Amino acid sequence: MSSNPVIKYIRIIDLGKCIGCGACEAACEFIHGKPYIIVHRTSIGLDIPVSCMHCAKAPCIEACPTGAMTRDSAGAVHVITSRCIGCMACLYACPFGIPELDRATKTASKCNLCMELRKEGLEPACSAICPANAILYGEDAVVFQLAKKRVAETMAKARFEYELHG
Amino acid sequence: MKFAFMCRDKKKNTGARVAVIGAGPAGLTASGYLACEGYDVDLYDKQPLPGGLMTFAIPQWRIPPERVVNGAKELEEKLGVKILLKTKIYAGEPPHEEGDDFVEKKVNLEDLINNYDMVLISTGTWASKIPRIPGVEAKGVTTALEYLYKWRIYEYNYTTTKPPLGRNIVVIGAGYSAIDAAEKALKTGAEVYLVYRRTIREAPAGLYEIERIKREGVTFIELASPAEIITENNVVKAIKFQKMTLGPPDETGRPRPVPIPGGEFVIEADLVVFATGESPTPPVKSSTAEKLGLRLNKDETIAVNALMQTSIPKVFAAGDVVTGPSRIGPAIRSGLKAARSMHYWFSAKTGKLVSFSEVISR
Repeated sequence: MSSNPVIKYIRIIDLGKCIGCGACEAACEFIHGKPYIIVHRTSIGLDIPVSCMHCAKAPCIEACPTGAMTRDSAGAVHVITSRCIGCMACLYACPFGIPELDRATKTASKCNLCMELRKEGLEPACSAICPANAILYGEDAVVFQLAKKRVAETMAKARFEYELHG
Repeated sequence: MKFAFMCRDKKKNTGARVAVIGAGPAGLTASGYLACEGYDVDLYDKQPLPGGLMTFAIPQWRIPPERVVNGAKELEEKLGVKILLKTKIYAGEPPHEEGDDFVEKKVNLEDLINNYDMVLISTGTWASKIPRIPGVEAKGVTTALEYLYKWRIYEYNYTTTKPPLGRNIVVIGAGYSAIDAAEKALKTGAEVYLVYRRTIREAPAGLYEIERIKREGVTFIELASPAEIITENNVVKAIKFQKMTLGPPDETGRPRPVPIPGGEFVIEADLVVFATGESPTPPVKSSTAEKLGLRLNKDETIAVNALMQTSIPKVFAAGDVVTGPSRIGPAIRSGLKAARSMHYWFSAKTGKLVSFSEVISR
């Protein structure tokens, strides 16, 4: 089912950079008709965007009885609608509560990292529009390094301020 | 920010010209979509940089301004959007709004409507509301928007005039602009108070943000409403606050703050920053709007139908000037919705039918 892609792409949401503005949600809704990344206002007032993690060992793919839940060559987990029976076994399996039932098609629906845009050589709408640069999308090695670079920047800043102000 | 995240290149040119008024999140994203669909877009803004509140009020550590400006540059270079800055569009004599400092050129709204095939108004909310209490005219009283704006134009080197400083700065409100103004004030070395008439639980910015700036050193006082600015020679000296308690829910669904009789206290202040909301700033006064045929709502927002179309068919509106102060996300959503409506409306009007798949995919 899952092929061995040459390059694997990944999306990481940097919660430290997210300002909770909802731009990702708006852009996602524009592309898909409904948002597959949703910014939730939590009980402590911090806004947290939630979307598919595109797990490397995705329980939704394992749980799907018809092979509708699958992975494309770039690494994005997505639903092949024609194979889906709308049983929502994927939702039961998902630790993040991601898949939804589409009322019109009676099939599971979820983030596919903007497959249509990626076919055109574009990046997913959420990462493209994010004003805070909180959504990183790219080749896995690049994203992993960038995530660490950000931590390094934070540490350096903390050290700098400590030495400056005590 | 890739405001044209939906396309790689401009589609076949439609030959139609669109003016977008206001280069904030709604205007920029709408311009991106319309340029993708093959329209020639002229994007007007009164500021020396595009981005609206994203570049002129929201702190740089939240939104890197270069991300916004580079996104706008990409619209110009890749999709041929013309961005015309320092230009204010208005019908009639424009009143002074916040952030008007750099206007060099004025264009009449009516001319604009006549010269373009379609117009999108996304001028936002650049007028701060200040409660009508004694002393608000005094020197040392400002608004969060003006305070943050003055700091930004100073930091961008657009002016050498230093923003107002204070030793005791009192910020009134508990929304994002209150948080951002209080945090900025703290960075100037001042003693900073944030005063809110409800409790931390009702704060629009949320518990997390209030707790965060408390940790940074801001003193948060809840359940107090400003009653009077105490002045000396027309300069702010202190603020008298009225203690409040929470009553039954008001029309917004939040508990209404009710004054506690006799409960008053005074905080010394040399700078007072009101972060008590902003009002819509459409490019026309309500009296002129009527003559123009553009319907405004009572709260000065622009009246639109489900397609984001105004009472003038070829004029659409989006963003905070339609919804009142919101967030970047809703502004983008409404900008995109308006832009798509404009495309469909124009296609239908000119007999260029939008493909079936294009419509059902929405």
